[in-house]
Amino acid sequence: MHTNDGGTEVFFNNRDPVYLQVVRHFKEQIATGRMEAGQVIPSRRELAALFKINPNTAQRAYKEMEEQQLIVTEGNSPSRITNQMEILQSIRTELLHDTVAAFIASIRKIEVPIEELLDLVEREFNEARLHESTKISDSGGDRND
Amino acid sequence: MIEVVNMHKRYRLRNVLNGVSFTAEKGQVTCLIGVNGAGKSTVLKAIMGLTPMSKGTVRIDGRARERETYEKVAFIPDHLTMPSYMKLSEGLRFMADFYQSWNQARAGELMKFFRLDTSERVGNLSKGTAAKYNLVIGLAQDTDYVLMDEPFSGIDLFSRESIAEVFSTDLIDGRGVLLTTHEVGEIEHLLDKAVLLSHGTVAKEFQCEQVRSEEGKSVVDVMREVLWV
Repeated sequence: MHTNDGGTEVFFNNRDPVYLQVVRHFKEQIATGRMEAGQVIPSRRELAALFKINPNTAQRAYKEMEEQQLIVTEGNSPSRITNQMEILQSIRTELLHDTVAAFIASIRKIEVPIEELLDLVEREFNEARLHESTKISDSGGDRND
Repeated sequence: MIEVVNMHKRYRLRNVLNGVSFTAEKGQVTCLIGVNGAGKSTVLKAIMGLTPMSKGTVRIDGRARERETYEKVAFIPDHLTMPSYMKLSEGLRFMADFYQSWNQARAGELMKFFRLDTSERVGNLSKGTAAKYNLVIGLAQDTDYVLMDEPFSGIDLFSRESIAEVFSTDLIDGRGVLLTTHEVGEIEHLLDKAVLLSHGTVAKEFQCEQVRSEEGKSVVDVMREVLWV
C-alpha cells in the first residue's frame, strides 16, 4: 500500500509494525530537511487520513515519537517537531547507521571484496540518481505506481 | 466490548461452529478471517440474533442481547437489503423511521464521501456502488459497534480503496468494528486485531502490530501458517 503526501510517497510493508514505519517516515523527512525544527505536524486524525491508516496506529506512532522526544505536545496545542538540535542531528546519523547496517548484514552473505563492493555501490548510486532526475523531468511529477 | 463465548451452530447435520470464543473491543477494528465456508458470516449473524445458536453466549458491553442492542450495534450484511424500487434518498428516510440511532447529518456526510447520487434507484446500482450505499446505511447509525460482512468482496480496486479510506476517518474512529474478509492482504494495515477462524473454532486471536514487531510477520503470513493445513 502506498500513499502520496505532496510529492513524497510512503510505502508501507505488512511485516514491520506500521507505527514504526510512520516514525521512520518522519525521521526521513527530518533528516532530509523536508520537516524542520518546531514545525507543526498534522493531528493524529489528519495523519491517519493522509496515510490511510488506522487512527490507533497514528496515535501509537505519535506516542513513540513523543517518547523518543522527536515531537513535543504541550497542552492542547498541536504537536510540533522538537527544537532540540542534538536530537534532530542524531536522527540522520541513526538512519544512516541503521540502513548501512542492514545492507552490510545482507551483503556479507555474498562475500564480495570491499573494493568491488564500493565500486559497484558508487556506480549504482550514480545511475539511480541519474534515472531519478530524468524521470522527474520526463513525467513532470506524475505518479508512477 | 463484544464478547462471543463458546458459540456453537449446527446446520443441516453439520457442525458449522464448534465453540467460537473471542472479543472485539470498542475503538478497535477487529477482523474475522477464514477461508470460504469457515463460518465467518454465521458468527456475525448469530451475534445479531439473525440466526439461532445451538449453544453459547453473546454479550455486548457485558449485557445479553436485548431490544436496545439494535440501537447499539449496526449490521452491514454482504448484500444490500433495501427494496430495489427505492431511491437512495428514500432508503435513508426508511432507516430514519426505524432507527433512533439514525444520524441524518452523518448519512449526508457519507453520501458525499462516496459520491453517491440520492436520486438514483437502489435497483440500478452497480455492485461497488451498492456496497458503498450499504456502508452508508450501516455507518450513519450512531452505534458503538458496527459489524460488516465482507465489505470488500467482489468490488473493483477503486471502490475498495474508497471503502478502506473510511477506516481512516472519524466516521469510524472510536467505534468498535468487527468485519469479515477472506482477502485480508490489502487492508491489513487498517486492522487492530485479527481472529482466525478455522474448522468452526478460533485458531488464533492476535493484535496485528504485536505480531509484526515480535515475529516480523504480516497478518497474511500468520494466516498462511495457521489456516494452510
